[in-house]
Amino acid sequence: MLKSSSALLSARSYVSAVLNISEAPDFTLTQYAGADKDLKKALGRLPTLVGVVQGGFMRVSATQIWSLNDAVAAPNCFITPLSSSRTRIEISGAPVRNVLGKCAAIDFHKSEFKPNSFAMTGMHHVPVLIHCVSADMFHIYVMRTFALSIWDHITDAALEYA
Amino acid sequence: MTAFRRTTKPAHIDRGKPVTFTFDGKSLSGFSGDTLASALLANGKTLLGRSFKYHRPRGILAAGLEEPNALFTTGRGGRTEPNTIGTVTELTSGLVAKSQNAWPSLAFDIMAVNQLLSPIFSAGFYYKTFMGPLKKSWMMYEPIIRKAAGLGTAVAGVDTARYEQRFTFCDVLVIGSGPSGLAAAVIAARSGLRVIVAEQDFELGGSLLSTGNDVLKQWRQAQVAELESYKECRVLKRATAMGIYDGNLVLLNVTPQNHPAHMVTEQCRARTIIVATGAIERPLVFENNDRPGVMLASAVRTYLNRFGVAPRKRAVIVTNNDSAYQTAFELAEADIAVTVAEHRATLSGDLLARAAQLGIAIFPSSGIADVIGEKQIRGVRLAGRHAVTIDCDVLAMSGGWSPVVHLTSHGGIKPIYDATIAAFVPGGFAPTHFGCGGINGTFGVMAAIREGEVAARGALEILGFSKNLDPIDLPAMREDRTYTIQPIWHASENAPEKHAFVDFQNDVTVKDIKQAHQEGYLSVEHLKRYTTLGMGTDQGKTSNINALAMMADLRGLPMSAAGTTTFRPPYAPMTIGALAGRSIGAHFRPKRLSPLHDWHLANGATFIEAGLWLRAWYYDWAGNSPEAAYIAEMQLVRQNVGLADVSSLGKIDVQGPDAAEFLNRVYVNGFAKLPVGRARYGVMLNDDGIVLDDGTTSRISDTQFYMTTTTAQAGEVMSWLEFLLQMHWTDLDVHVTSLTDEWGGMALSGPNSRRALQLAFPDVDVTTEALPYMGVIDIQFEGITVRILRLSFSGELAYEIHCPANYTTALWEHVFKAASPLGIKPYGLEALASLRIEKGHVAGADLDHRNTLDDLGLGKMAGKEKDYVGKALRFREDCQAPERWSLVGIECMEEDKRLRGGAILFAANDEIKGHGRGYVTSVTWSTELNKFIALALYHGGLKHEGEEIICAFPLKNEQVRAKIVSPHFIDKQGERLHA
Repeated sequence: MLKSSSALLSARSYVSAVLNISEAPDFTLTQYAGADKDLKKALGRLPTLVGVVQGGFMRVSATQIWSLNDAVAAPNCFITPLSSSRTRIEISGAPVRNVLGKCAAIDFHKSEFKPNSFAMTGMHHVPVLIHCVSADMFHIYVMRTFALSIWDHITDAALEYA
Repeated sequence: MTAFRRTTKPAHIDRGKPVTFTFDGKSLSGFSGDTLASALLANGKTLLGRSFKYHRPRGILAAGLEEPNALFTTGRGGRTEPNTIGTVTELTSGLVAKSQNAWPSLAFDIMAVNQLLSPIFSAGFYYKTFMGPLKKSWMMYEPIIRKAAGLGTAVAGVDTARYEQRFTFCDVLVIGSGPSGLAAAVIAARSGLRVIVAEQDFELGGSLLSTGNDVLKQWRQAQVAELESYKECRVLKRATAMGIYDGNLVLLNVTPQNHPAHMVTEQCRARTIIVATGAIERPLVFENNDRPGVMLASAVRTYLNRFGVAPRKRAVIVTNNDSAYQTAFELAEADIAVTVAEHRATLSGDLLARAAQLGIAIFPSSGIADVIGEKQIRGVRLAGRHAVTIDCDVLAMSGGWSPVVHLTSHGGIKPIYDATIAAFVPGGFAPTHFGCGGINGTFGVMAAIREGEVAARGALEILGFSKNLDPIDLPAMREDRTYTIQPIWHASENAPEKHAFVDFQNDVTVKDIKQAHQEGYLSVEHLKRYTTLGMGTDQGKTSNINALAMMADLRGLPMSAAGTTTFRPPYAPMTIGALAGRSIGAHFRPKRLSPLHDWHLANGATFIEAGLWLRAWYYDWAGNSPEAAYIAEMQLVRQNVGLADVSSLGKIDVQGPDAAEFLNRVYVNGFAKLPVGRARYGVMLNDDGIVLDDGTTSRISDTQFYMTTTTAQAGEVMSWLEFLLQMHWTDLDVHVTSLTDEWGGMALSGPNSRRALQLAFPDVDVTTEALPYMGVIDIQFEGITVRILRLSFSGELAYEIHCPANYTTALWEHVFKAASPLGIKPYGLEALASLRIEKGHVAGADLDHRNTLDDLGLGKMAGKEKDYVGKALRFREDCQAPERWSLVGIECMEEDKRLRGGAILFAANDEIKGHGRGYVTSVTWSTELNKFIALALYHGGLKHEGEEIICAFPLKNEQVRAKIVSPHFIDKQGERLHA
């Protein structure tokens, strides 16, 4: 098996007593595209709305589902592996929403951005998917080729807690 | 003896916390809670700067953001900031402040000689006086004038302060925390909804901070304490609302405390906005009204009550309205002798009675004829029938109040004139916006508080909040007096006007306005630009209304017809750093890195920016300069085998039962019948018939294709495909997904590339029979899918090897290790781009979004029978013109000279002038031909093959003889590709 390499190999580490920012590697990301009936038949219960995470599935468009689960066969659907395409940055701790509020033009208030929801937005001119894992933990899926830039951007925004 | 002193009465300063600062190098002290201006006044400093044009002595006029005079350069080194407004600068320990626009000293300023030259420095003087004798004389005068005039000077060094940006959201944004703002904020916060209160001061309270009334002081404290108790209420002090934009976006400029950032710019999106920005007092216009010690009446009151700084003994107050009497009474209560020069003939009985009680002398139907004293007021001469001279330490003036309508006007709602208060008020509010208090011309405290409550309840109703809330607690005091004013825009017709200043910051006098009128600059917008009135850091906050009224008078128009100039953001000066935020240096824009970046870094690559990408340019094994290295790397590929990173190529997954039909419509050439396991070069056009991009697309299965695009156009092509599918061909069942980040790629090129490939993948049949030119195979290798495509960009036998990006480095290292017996080495972008020039492959530099297929010599590849995007307009007359700039090759004919990219092409007999007949798009040294060669676009293209031309490069004053040739410099039969 070939060795997997991180896009954040040369990233400067971030150390804080109240905030953790680290790479969360080793995930599977698969896109399933097709008609809704075929997607449901292959994958089971799926979120109906964009922005909701359900059972490891994220609906990213009317005809596209992203799955964080192991890939499965999906007759009549079109599968695109994307595990290498994104780097996943985990950020957690009490000030997490404050830090992310410096990075993306969306509302991170606890009443608005709740666990098991996600937003597709931009960060430092780069498209990202932000997943609220729990009240104080977010996963940021960033295009691999921009990962180091976004890492620098987030850790710079978090300077006040370092 | 100084004109001002500290009082001992309670104020909003902490006398237990002294603060040391310096002014013009001299150490002074103030207290925590002081502003720079209040501390300077308390230290007896009244001469604080020199004026813009005439270098007249200037002191403090106001106590807020509207201050036109008291501007300083603060900080040191990279933290130096010019034009800091002293009246809102919080006094901090170690603050360094310097006066501006004076040399060698404030007291003795050589440029004060300009006062003698004032007759020639009138409005628009530089438009008229400095136009000759030569046409470009202004270019000589300008730097001299700029140096002589002006305010502070920015330092040339890097600003070392940190500036951040933030995105915030709320249900209710309250801008301002005076009586109405506090009331609105408290009611809104009681709802439990998300409220932000933005106050530009470092204390909440607005005008309440200036009051001497204990009941109001207690009311303020109670409201502030309540506000700060709500979890969802964010109180932002030192936060100036700079502008309101579409979509309820408000730009807040915040100076945080105990934070690594000097300033944070917040883009605040509020569901509702309550504007409680209050009003600014206007000066009166009379001779020498700019002398240090002539201040706004409200400012004198603020310095007295908020900062405990009072005039030494005697104050004169000049007014045309009732509000100044509060200042008069509170000064008198502080044992300062007060005289009032009242413009009005009659006054209400309660004011007269209170004045008499406090021993205040009132001169009705009066005013100020002149001010005595140059660097500090010593007295005034009254106008009217009481032409007496009165000694004083300060002259407090009030010409009425101007509501702060800036923010509500940013969205395009023009303010309207309200004659009852002689001021402009908002012409309305945008939906979800509210105004309360001074901005509405409501100058009484009780009424303002009630308006604040009404505004908040209106906002809550819009937000769907319907629960009952307790009403605001009103201060236990009597109802407001009725505000009355008699507008006095300038002194009488016969009064001197040469030193009667309307705009203090720009040295604009009554005389200047009259001159502008005489010379035809009648519109308020023209008046502004001709006289510079309302420009500068204060943007005319104290001057505009007086000036507009004067112009209206001169034109015989009512104020409502004269109107105002346009209010634009920002409301207050912003440093550029606050706008840039962290988008500086390495954070200026994102960088895009190949999955092989770290390998390149560790193995001697020098990088170059290519769009957002940072790409390996050349490697140190080949040389220490790009010129030397790329030639060695080219030779490696032409003679042996090299490996290049091509991960930046756009890669798109095209899947679906209609994928073949889709590609057949997108590309000019046929893709419907492309067999599985084969790749094809394709060109796509925009719908205007112009070339969009090229690349190869491989058929992976009946329903799946793997498209590659150029690096530069990857994003645009992806958007284009999505657009076509979503807008034009909704009937096609096709799904496109970008794989640019998912797959990394490497080009294995050179006559030994097949041997290298075999060494890397010994179990795979890579013979020409199994993997012919333009063949594609997917293999499983060490647990991952590897895609091998037999393609060539270099013109040599070559392969591209693609695999998931997480494993690209491991696969690259594997190929290197396996092929090391052959002497394989990496080659960079410069060699990659040069090799393709020899082969005549076009790339980003040659595709300038103006080329047709025929321009590039690719017309014959387009399908004649099938339809494709851009086909109809490809054949329009202009696209088929015979003399279009078309692709040619160029060979340098002079051994000791070189060709250069961008060189302008001329026929041999042309005069070297103008735009020529074409230009060089790409250039390289050819290791095969031992000369410089180039690709170019040339008028008429290859019709001129064999002709001699001139390549002119004016930037280096070079002209080189060259010859037009075929763009295919090597291997015209393609034998190497098919080897």
